Amino acid sequence: MEERPCALLLKFPGTNCDAETARALEAVGFVTEVLPVSALKPEKLVGVSLVVFSGGFSYGDYVMSGRIASLVTEQKIGETLKDFRENGGYLLGICNGFQILTQLDLLPAGSLVENAGGRFQCQWVKMKNLAPKSPFLSHCPPEFELPIAHAEGRLVTRDATEAAGYVKSGAAALVYVDDVNGSFERIAGLQDETGRVFGLMPHPERFMKARDHYDPDWDGGEGGWGSGYYLFKSLFQAIKEGEAGEP
Amino acid sequence: MSDPATLNPLERIAEAPADHYRVLKISDLDGDRLLELSKFMKLSLSREDMLAIQAVYAEWEREPTDVELEVIAQTWSEHCKHRIFGATIEHQIDGQAETVNSLFKTYIRDVSQRIFDSKPGFVLSAFHDNAGFIKLDDELAICLKAETHNHPSAIEPYAGANTGLGGVIRDILGAGKGAKPIGSLDVFCFGAPDTTMDLIKADDVIHPLGVMRGVVRGVRDYGNRMGIPTISGAIQFDDSYIYNPLVFCGTAGVIPIKDIEKKVEAGMKVISVGGRTGRDGLHGATFSSAALDTDSHESDQQAVQIGNPIEEKKAADFVLAARDKGLIEFITDCGAGGYSSAAGEMLEQCGGVIELDQVKLKEPGLVSWEVFISESQERMVLAVKESSLPELRKLADLYETELTELGTADGSGILKVRHHGNTVCELDCSKLHDAPTRHLKGRWSKKTSPVEAPVLTNPGEALRDLFIDFAIVSREPIIREYDHEVQGNTVLKPLAGASGDAPQDASVLRISGSKRLMAMGVSLLPEWGKTDPYAMGAACVDECVRQLVAAGADPDRLAILDNFCMGNPDAEEELGALVETVKGIASVAEVYGAPFVSGKDSFYNYFETKEGPVSIPVTILISGMGIIEEESHVTGASLRKSDSLLAIIGHTSGDLGGSVFARRHGIKNAPVPATRSEEALACYRQYYEAVKKGYIRSAHDVSEGGLAVTLAEMAFSGKAGLEIDLCSLPMDDDASKAAMLFGESPSRLVIEVAPEHLAKVADLFEGFPFAALGRATTTHANLHIEWGKETLVNEPLADLKSLWKNGLARYY
Repeated sequence: MEERPCALLLKFPGTNCDAETARALEAVGFVTEVLPVSALKPEKLVGVSLVVFSGGFSYGDYVMSGRIASLVTEQKIGETLKDFRENGGYLLGICNGFQILTQLDLLPAGSLVENAGGRFQCQWVKMKNLAPKSPFLSHCPPEFELPIAHAEGRLVTRDATEAAGYVKSGAAALVYVDDVNGSFERIAGLQDETGRVFGLMPHPERFMKARDHYDPDWDGGEGGWGSGYYLFKSLFQAIKEGEAGEP
Repeated sequence: MSDPATLNPLERIAEAPADHYRVLKISDLDGDRLLELSKFMKLSLSREDMLAIQAVYAEWEREPTDVELEVIAQTWSEHCKHRIFGATIEHQIDGQAETVNSLFKTYIRDVSQRIFDSKPGFVLSAFHDNAGFIKLDDELAICLKAETHNHPSAIEPYAGANTGLGGVIRDILGAGKGAKPIGSLDVFCFGAPDTTMDLIKADDVIHPLGVMRGVVRGVRDYGNRMGIPTISGAIQFDDSYIYNPLVFCGTAGVIPIKDIEKKVEAGMKVISVGGRTGRDGLHGATFSSAALDTDSHESDQQAVQIGNPIEEKKAADFVLAARDKGLIEFITDCGAGGYSSAAGEMLEQCGGVIELDQVKLKEPGLVSWEVFISESQERMVLAVKESSLPELRKLADLYETELTELGTADGSGILKVRHHGNTVCELDCSKLHDAPTRHLKGRWSKKTSPVEAPVLTNPGEALRDLFIDFAIVSREPIIREYDHEVQGNTVLKPLAGASGDAPQDASVLRISGSKRLMAMGVSLLPEWGKTDPYAMGAACVDECVRQLVAAGADPDRLAILDNFCMGNPDAEEELGALVETVKGIASVAEVYGAPFVSGKDSFYNYFETKEGPVSIPVTILISGMGIIEEESHVTGASLRKSDSLLAIIGHTSGDLGGSVFARRHGIKNAPVPATRSEEALACYRQYYEAVKKGYIRSAHDVSEGGLAVTLAEMAFSGKAGLEIDLCSLPMDDDASKAAMLFGESPSRLVIEVAPEHLAKVADLFEGFPFAALGRATTTHANLHIEWGKETLVNEPLADLKSLWKNGLARYY
C-alpha cells in the first residue's frame, strides 16, 4: 500500500481550529495526529513531514498572541524543530499558528499586532497569490478568497522598507487585495527562504468546499472545491513528490 | 467571644466567628425575624419559605447550619426552581376569572408531552437534563439551551455577558454524558444607543452604549476563545431596557444518542474538573432573584463572576475526550449555586458525601458555605467509576486541567457535606426540593382598539425612515466581532449575498458525522407584548419556526425553547401579561407540533429609580433548532439570480400594531396581527415540498419593517433590482397601503424561484394565500413597487443599503 505523508498538529490549551484543520489535512491525503502539547517531545517529530500550528487562542493570547505557545514549543522541541526544517520538513501556521511561527523566528522578522481598526474581524477577504511556485500555493489561482477571523493580524515590520523588501524577495507570498487590517504592504501570508515554512492569517480549512462560500452561487468549478482545498492540496502534492524524489 | 448560644442569629452573624460553619438557632424566631435573617444572609427567601424551613427543622428536631440554609436558598431560588412558573395564579382576562395551576405544567410541559407522544422517538430528552435533545439521525442527537444573564450584565456588562455565554456552554458540556458545543446564539435587549442622559433617572446606571459594547465584547471574548461559532442572534432596543438590559446566551450541541442517558449509582466517585473555587460569584442565584437598585451597582459586585475561557476550553477538551472513551457516568455543570446545586442534582436520589477539604481554592480562608455555593466559573462535576479514575487523571494531565476528587455517591439518599472534620450539612435530598407553592395574582385586559391607518403620502420616504430604525439597521459591526466560521461548519452564515453583508434569517450548521444539518433561529417581539402579549407569544413561535423552515428545515422535525424575562411578578398586570404570553406560545406551538424542550425564566427585571420602579415589558425569546435533511435543501435569505421571479406566501393583515412603522409614526394601541397558525403550518409544509423539489432559490421571512423592507433586504445581495406589483397580494380587504408595505403580520415568506418553476410552485399553494409579486431585473438597481398603475416605491437599493448598513456602525 502507498504510504501517506504524516502531519503533526500541535494543540495548545486554547487551540480551537484543530478539528477542522485535521479534517482538511485528512481530506487531501495526510495521516494526521492532533497532539496536545503536554505530550510533545522531540521523538514525536520522527516520521513526520509536516508540522501544523492551527488557529485558536493559545493560552488565551492575553500577552502578545502566540507568545507563550512559542516559548513552550521552544522549550520542548526548539532544536528538533530547527533540524526538522533543515532536513526538509514543512511547517504551516494558520492564524494563531502564524503568530506562533513568527514568534518562533521561523519566518521573516515581523510581528502580528492588533488590527488597525482595533476590532476582532470575521469576514471574507480576497488575496493575491504572489508565490505561485510556493509548495503551499502552487495549485491556488492568482486571486482567491478565504475567511479571516482575528483581532491581531496586522503584520508590521521594523520599518516600511523591510515589508517592501518581503514583497520584492517573494517572502510575502500572500497579500490582501484591500486594506483589511493595516498590514504593511497588505501582507496576509509569509514564507521563509526555503519555501517550506508558511504562515497566513486567513483560514484555508474553512473554505474546503464551494458551499462554504457565503454566496451559494460561488463557482467552485469541477469537484466543487473551495479555495482552501487547493492550498492543502498543493502542500500534499509537494510533499508527496519530494518524498518520491528522495533516494 | 460571647457564648453563641445566648445570641440571636443576627448577632451571631454580626460577630463573624472565625469558625468555618455555624448552627443557627431559628426555632424560636417569628416570621419577621426569619425574614430579617433571610435578608441579612442574602438568601432571597420569603417569609413563607423561611417558615416552611423552620417547620421542616422542627420536624427533624434540630437547628439548621448556615451551609444548609444556603443550600436550601439556592435550590429554592427562583433562578433554580422556577417557582413562579409553578405557582398557582388567580388570573383575570378581560374581567373573566380563571385559575392557572402552574404555567409550566399547563402550557409548557403538557403541551410538549402531547407533541412528544405524537412524534415518537423524535424528542429524546426534555426538561430534566441541562438541555433537551432531538434526534438528528440514527446515531446523533442535537440539543439547544439558552440562558439569561441579565442582572450581572446590568452591573458589569463585560463580565456578565462573558460568563453568561461561558455558563450556557457548560450546560451543553453537562448535557447527557457531555455534548459537544457547535454553535451559539446571543440575543440582547438594550436601551437605544442614542439615549440621552436625562432619560436615565438613577445614579450609577451604565449608559446603553456602554452596556452594549461591554456585552458584545464579553460574548466575543468567550465564544471566540472557546472556538464555538456565534451564528445567530438579535437585538431589540427600547427605553424600558435602560436599567435592566437583557442578555440571552444560547449554545447548541451534538452528542451520540447512546450517550444521552446518565445515572449516578452508589459507589461512584464524584469529581470536579476545571477551575478552582473562590469568593467570586457568591449569591449569584439568589441575587438574580431580586430587583436591582442603585446600591446593586456597588454592593452586588461580588455576585458577578470572572470568566476564564481557556480554563473552560481545557475542561471541554477533557470532557469530550473522556466521554469518547466511555469514562463518564454522569456529568453536570457548576452553574448557579455552584457545587451545592451540581452535587445536589447529582446526589438528589442516590445521596452521598462531599468532602469540602478536597476542593482546590483560589484563595485560603473560605468558610464552608462559601466553598459549597461559590459560583466560580469553569467547573464541571462528574460521577465516574472508581476504576476509571487513573485514566481520567491521565486525560486531565494531557489537557492540562485540574481534576479533584470531591466525594462518593453512597445510596443513602442523604446529601452529606464534610469540612474540617465536621458534618456541615446533612439534608434529605427529597425534602430539599419541596419548596412551598406560591400563590399569585394576574390580570390583563385588552389594550388595543381599531385605529385609522395614516395616509401614506410618500411611501419611499417612509421606507427610508424605517431603514434608520435601530430595530432594522444591520447588526454587521457586531456580527463581525464574533467568529461565526470556526469549526468550519457554518453553511448558512449570518451575513450573505454577493458581498457577504446582506441579512440572513436562520443560520445553518453542518454536523460532522451526519448528512443532515441543523438550523438555528430566534424570535422576540417585545413591542407587540406591550399591547397584546398573547399575540406576541403566538407570533414569536411562528417567526422562529418560520426562520427554520425558510432555511430548509423540515417543519415536522423541529423543537423550540422558551426564555421569559419580566419585571415584578407581584404586580398583577405584569404577571397577567406573562400568563397571556405563555398561552400565546403554547397555542401556536401545539398547532405547529413544535415541542418545547427546554426553557428558562428571569424575574425581577425592574429597577428602583428616583421616580419609582421601572419594569421591562414581558419579553419572550423563542429560539429553535430544526433538522435539514441534506445540504441541497439549505436555503438562504438573499436574492441569487437576476432572472428570478418573486412570490409571497401568507396572508397580509390590515393590522399595524406592534410594527416598527406604527412606532415611528406614533400609532398607539393599534390591533396587533393574529397568527393564523393552522393555515401557516399547511403553508410551511407546502413550502418544504417546494424546497425538496429544488424550486426555491431563496426565501426571506417578512418581519420588522414589513414586506417592503423584506424585499429590499433580499435585494441587498447586490445581484439585481426588483420590479414588484402588489395588486394580487393576499390580504384583508380593508388593508391600507401602509399595512401592505410595512405591516408585520406573521407567517409570511417572500420566495425567489426560477421562471420555469413558478407555475409548479403556484400549484403547490393552490388554495393557500400565495401570489406572484414580480421579478428581479438587471435594467435598474432599484426597489420598484407598484400597486396596479400607481408607483408606491422607487428607491435605489444602494441608498437603502447604505442607510441600513450605517445605522448601527456609527454607535458601535
